[in-house]
Amino acid sequence: MWAYVVRKFLLTIPILLGIVFLTFVLFKYIAADPAVAYAGKLKSPEEIEAIRHKLELDKPRWINIHEACAQQSFWPVFNSQFFDALRFHYPQSIRYQESVWRLFARKAPVSLAIQFPVFIIELGLQLAIALYVASHRGRPADYLATILAVLGMSIPALSIYMAAQWFFGACLRWFPVAGWDTGFYALHFMALPILVSVIMGLGGGTRFYRTIVLEEINADYVRTARAKGVQRREVLLTHVLRNVMIPVVTNTIVALPLLFTGALLLERLFQIPGFGALLVDAIGDQDQPVVMALVTVTSIIYCLALVATDVCYAIVDPRVSLK
Amino acid sequence: MTQELQGSNSTTDAPRGADAFGQVGNPTHKALPAMQLPSEAPRSRPREVWDRFRRNKLAMLCFVIVAIYLLVGMCSFSPLFDRKINDSLAESYEPPAWRSPDGHIEPQRWLGLDIQGRSVLWRALYGTRIALLITIITSIIAISIGVILGIVAGYFGGWLDDIIIWLYSTVSSIPWLLLVIALAYVIQSNDSPGFFLRHERLQAIFGGVTTVILAMGLTDWVGLCRLIRGEVIKLRDRDFVAAARAMGLGNGPILFRHILPNTTHLIIITFSLGAVGYVQVEVVLAFLGLGITDKPSWGRMIDDAKLELLRGVWWQATVATAMIFVLCLALNMLGDFLRDALDPRLRGVDS
Repeated sequence: MWAYVVRKFLLTIPILLGIVFLTFVLFKYIAADPAVAYAGKLKSPEEIEAIRHKLELDKPRWINIHEACAQQSFWPVFNSQFFDALRFHYPQSIRYQESVWRLFARKAPVSLAIQFPVFIIELGLQLAIALYVASHRGRPADYLATILAVLGMSIPALSIYMAAQWFFGACLRWFPVAGWDTGFYALHFMALPILVSVIMGLGGGTRFYRTIVLEEINADYVRTARAKGVQRREVLLTHVLRNVMIPVVTNTIVALPLLFTGALLLERLFQIPGFGALLVDAIGDQDQPVVMALVTVTSIIYCLALVATDVCYAIVDPRVSLK
Repeated sequence: MTQELQGSNSTTDAPRGADAFGQVGNPTHKALPAMQLPSEAPRSRPREVWDRFRRNKLAMLCFVIVAIYLLVGMCSFSPLFDRKINDSLAESYEPPAWRSPDGHIEPQRWLGLDIQGRSVLWRALYGTRIALLITIITSIIAISIGVILGIVAGYFGGWLDDIIIWLYSTVSSIPWLLLVIALAYVIQSNDSPGFFLRHERLQAIFGGVTTVILAMGLTDWVGLCRLIRGEVIKLRDRDFVAAARAMGLGNGPILFRHILPNTTHLIIITFSLGAVGYVQVEVVLAFLGLGITDKPSWGRMIDDAKLELLRGVWWQATVATAMIFVLCLALNMLGDFLRDALDPRLRGVDS
């Protein structure tokens, strides 16, 4: 077992390196020079040079031979942009004049405050609906759920957000249209985004879990349990639900890092100062260090979550071969 | 991460070229109620899919809808549209109206006018052209990368396989939307978005769409690559490949004449479901200001409406949403039907 886990993580190292490498090449070679965008109209060469120094763009990209030669030692070789990226050391945000990491630490809890309730409510509803629908396969409820799921997946998310904002916020005035507040008062602003996200995510998830439940519900052990006289309801809630939990758990782990990153459109549209809105703003402001850090860090956490999923799968489900 | 991909699926379906013989020659098939012997001549594969497809009314409806979109999209390449989308009919917003102020029935006003008094109907139809461009070109880019890498990795194996697995594991470890946004941002931040388009006419057609197409096309090959690699690994050890090799065929003909046609179903399904994603992601990119800037796309129309809507201007967003909704719905369902019809494991089973 441990050998499997260790091997799994060792196999991930090239992928993690690949992520850093890929994003580095994207942002350093294909993207425009952020210093020029930052300097704006007042660009004397000296000023641009100063900005480049501040954004650490004056370091060599890959290896710093000059410094190593100058100092007559080996280690300054790694004082380069690529190894900075590898150490997750990013230059300051252009807009906020603040370390990228501190920025993340400030924004992530806000996103989590929205995404965590959404996640819990959604998971519960999806499982409940999937269990119900799968046990009534081929009946109207099943068709209705499938149709609603397909309908929901075909509408652009942005339209749904805007429609909800307009209908609940502007027409009915049940919730504020957009905004955010600190502490307890945030609840007031959280309600509508949470409601909309739950509705949005319901379709796809229900459909996915329905397939899983259907696979289990036709299994032999269900028939045996029914033949022994166990109530239908009890079979569903104990036997089937337990087996369904395997894909559910693994799915949950993959979704966890995305809880911190939040939803891009949702946060921007409802003016929630979270992680997703940070990315949207950074793109608008050409705040390259933030965009690069966000993409790299999110991908790496996501990748680690994928590995953790594989490992959990092996722990939970003994049928998975550990080869 | 790679073990579960390698031929985990041990279905025993015959390769497509040989199935007619397989069914006739094998007497055990008669015992299975679900498998039917071909009544007269064995039907060809596309013919069989088409027959299965034709019996399904809903699938046909979706097919017709997609065909209409295709037709409108092709018509909208005419210069007439380029002119009409910029014609101002009034000073500013006007709600949908059947007749123009002087009493004529005027289709241009049926769906209202936007902020500069331009016809929403024309702009929505023009959006079909953008959607068509995006879906087709993006798919071509993504599918060619996916197919080539997938086939090479699956067929040749060895270090090529390792490199390609590393590449797609890396790319697929980055959440897709994030990767598309990052790539679009990077391309957009370059001063010339159409930097590889030197030709003037190409520039006129693709100009504003380049960023979107490149960002999605260069990232969406991963799923297909993985599927095709798995399929090729299953196929390359089959008898018909061995037979082809015994007849003296080289790698090229075997790959393109014998193996590639057996993966077509994967390509078709990926295309129909991928197109849905492209249309939807275009909306996101438009919202982030990374999408099409110089032409009316559906995404831009919805994005424009984010401020209009609270002032009661609902028609532009509604029309654009409806255009996307109907197309995506049809494509989604078509994709599902195609998967059912083309999946070899469901063959011969009348569902």
